[in-house]
Amino acid sequence: MSVLEINDLSIHFGGIKALQHVNLRAGEWEIVGIIGPNGAGKTTLFNCITGFYTPTSGTVSYRGKDISRLPVHKRTALGIGRTFQNVGLVKNATVLENLLTAQHLQVGYEPVAGMLGSPASFAEEARLSERGEQILELLELTDVARSRVADLPYGVLKRVEIAAVLATDPDVLLLDEPGSGMGPEEANDLGDLLLRLRKAFGLTIVMIDHHVPLVTRISDHVYCLNFGEVLAEGPPDVVRRHPDVVRAYLGEEEEPAPVESFAPARPGEEVRL
Amino acid sequence: MSTTEDTTRALPVVAPETTTPTKKGRRALSRKASADVVPATPPVDEKPFTPGPYGKAARGFVWGLLAWFVIAVPANVLSPFDLGVSDVGAATEAVIFGIVGLSLNILLGYAGQISLGHQAFVGIGAFTSAYIVTDLQLSFWFGVLIAAALGGAVSGLLGAISLRLTGLYFALVTLAFGAFAEQTLLGIPEITGGEGGKAAPRPTGFDTELRYYILCLAVLAVVLLVDWRLTKSKAGRALAALRENPRVAATYGINVKNYVLIAFVLSGLIAGVAGALLAHHDEVIVGQKFGFRLALLFVMMTVVGGLRSRSGVVIGAAFFALLETGKLLEMVDKPLGAVGFSLTDFFEGTIGLPQEFVALVVGPILLIVTITLYPGGIGQQIAPVREWLLGRRFDPHAGKVEEVTVSDVRA
Repeated sequence: MSVLEINDLSIHFGGIKALQHVNLRAGEWEIVGIIGPNGAGKTTLFNCITGFYTPTSGTVSYRGKDISRLPVHKRTALGIGRTFQNVGLVKNATVLENLLTAQHLQVGYEPVAGMLGSPASFAEEARLSERGEQILELLELTDVARSRVADLPYGVLKRVEIAAVLATDPDVLLLDEPGSGMGPEEANDLGDLLLRLRKAFGLTIVMIDHHVPLVTRISDHVYCLNFGEVLAEGPPDVVRRHPDVVRAYLGEEEEPAPVESFAPARPGEEVRL
Repeated sequence: MSTTEDTTRALPVVAPETTTPTKKGRRALSRKASADVVPATPPVDEKPFTPGPYGKAARGFVWGLLAWFVIAVPANVLSPFDLGVSDVGAATEAVIFGIVGLSLNILLGYAGQISLGHQAFVGIGAFTSAYIVTDLQLSFWFGVLIAAALGGAVSGLLGAISLRLTGLYFALVTLAFGAFAEQTLLGIPEITGGEGGKAAPRPTGFDTELRYYILCLAVLAVVLLVDWRLTKSKAGRALAALRENPRVAATYGINVKNYVLIAFVLSGLIAGVAGALLAHHDEVIVGQKFGFRLALLFVMMTVVGGLRSRSGVVIGAAFFALLETGKLLEMVDKPLGAVGFSLTDFFEGTIGLPQEFVALVVGPILLIVTITLYPGGIGQQIAPVREWLLGRRFDPHAGKVEEVTVSDVRA
């Protein structure tokens, strides 16, 4: 049984068909890559999986259970964790505080007990800090544990974000452009890190990235989205060489883009000069 | 897909705690770490700073001085000299305002929700307790308890509205609620005694001014403790996250709606307690007291005191309470009288501003200064001293990093 299964998912915003009949499967311990040009609907797909958007039609299933109507926090409780394209962290808190916040569902006392300062809450807080530090150590972030998030550079924050999501104890990790703003070497390191995390935490990873070499290196299966539809899917090397994918990324080989119109060519649309 | 499943099934699941990264991975990561991990703040000392014997003595002395100032000066007891400003009644009101400030700080500072009708919760608490003690002849403690429960319940209702309306429109709803409560809820003659007001006798054992003051101080201390634990525990962190970014908070597994409601209920609960204390402090409570002016004062004192700063909010609240009753001008005029100057005369004579309007003029000016120059309010100003008193090094820049405090209130 696949961990995450998206069946015939469509979402429309007014007249804009952001996603149309998308099918996607992620098996246990798989790394699934999603590529596609800007505006293809990749982040929208993530928003449907995490619950920020309710799909117009179709379902999102997690381990065979339909979760399309569950609120976001309940999906997190089931084991779906995600990162954001533009760093989703509490910026006015330290890195360690973010990891404590992210462990919200693992906290073993009630909110009221925490406010009244029950002895159990003190012990639990110590345990949470320890677990946070362990995760930070695993990601080599111990040095910045007590730095404020707003003071840290973007590249570090991308890793802090992964640490914070790991603290929510996910089964499925949805990574929205984890390699953005990284050079080839850093992206390679990121790939190593993700493979290592999958092994350590037993994760299924669904990853959006524009870094095609990174995606093809670590993914078991790749989907290419364009204009809200799955253009191609399959093993990384097959998708990378797929003529439709090449066309979506590079445009038509022979025919240059029309001069009189700035509108992007739609697949199947005839491009005239 | 079957091929990938075959290869991945062979992977062992290792518990996170026992995992050690492979050597290669570690090396690769540390290289990366040294390249782009630039700690913006200096690394924290391995051994936390503890003051030496002299440092401890100095801190103890200042704490003692503070305690003397808070307890002895208002009552003019244990005091070698008379400062001539002793007024337990004014000090009690300042403490009660402090409790209200902390209550509003939970909404404004932690949850990022505005309430322009906070005086209504205080009023509901006040009349509930007065009614229970005077008409039902029940105990004062029971009155406080029910006042807290009612304050929390009504505030929770308002919170439920905030889940639908945000920003300016929610602020409008709270404003309307405050006006509605003043005119209707607090105007029911059977409960509130109408124009003449409602008697609210003090509990036995706390019937003198000084004893009642000590009781209020004790309640303030309890509220401070709860607030401290709130910020250091699950609920406080959830509120901080949802204030800044509700989406991120939700992906952390936080039930955003529930926690907004928790903030409203807790805030209303504390406001209800403050209201009960206020009623029995005044001994006769009238509905007109809880007008919009009071709501305005509450918001101003909390923001000027410094959102998310417990000490700042309490000081700001005390400042505004004393300013409102005119006690502050009196206190300032005492020493100034020696040089033949009177601030009261200055306000009333020179610029023609009657004493009862001073707070409404000085408050907004302070509000502007706070928002434009010192977003951390009084809490930011006193941060170095506060940190020193709590046994840390004296750092003149403490509290400086706390940016964005006022602007993030979604209104």
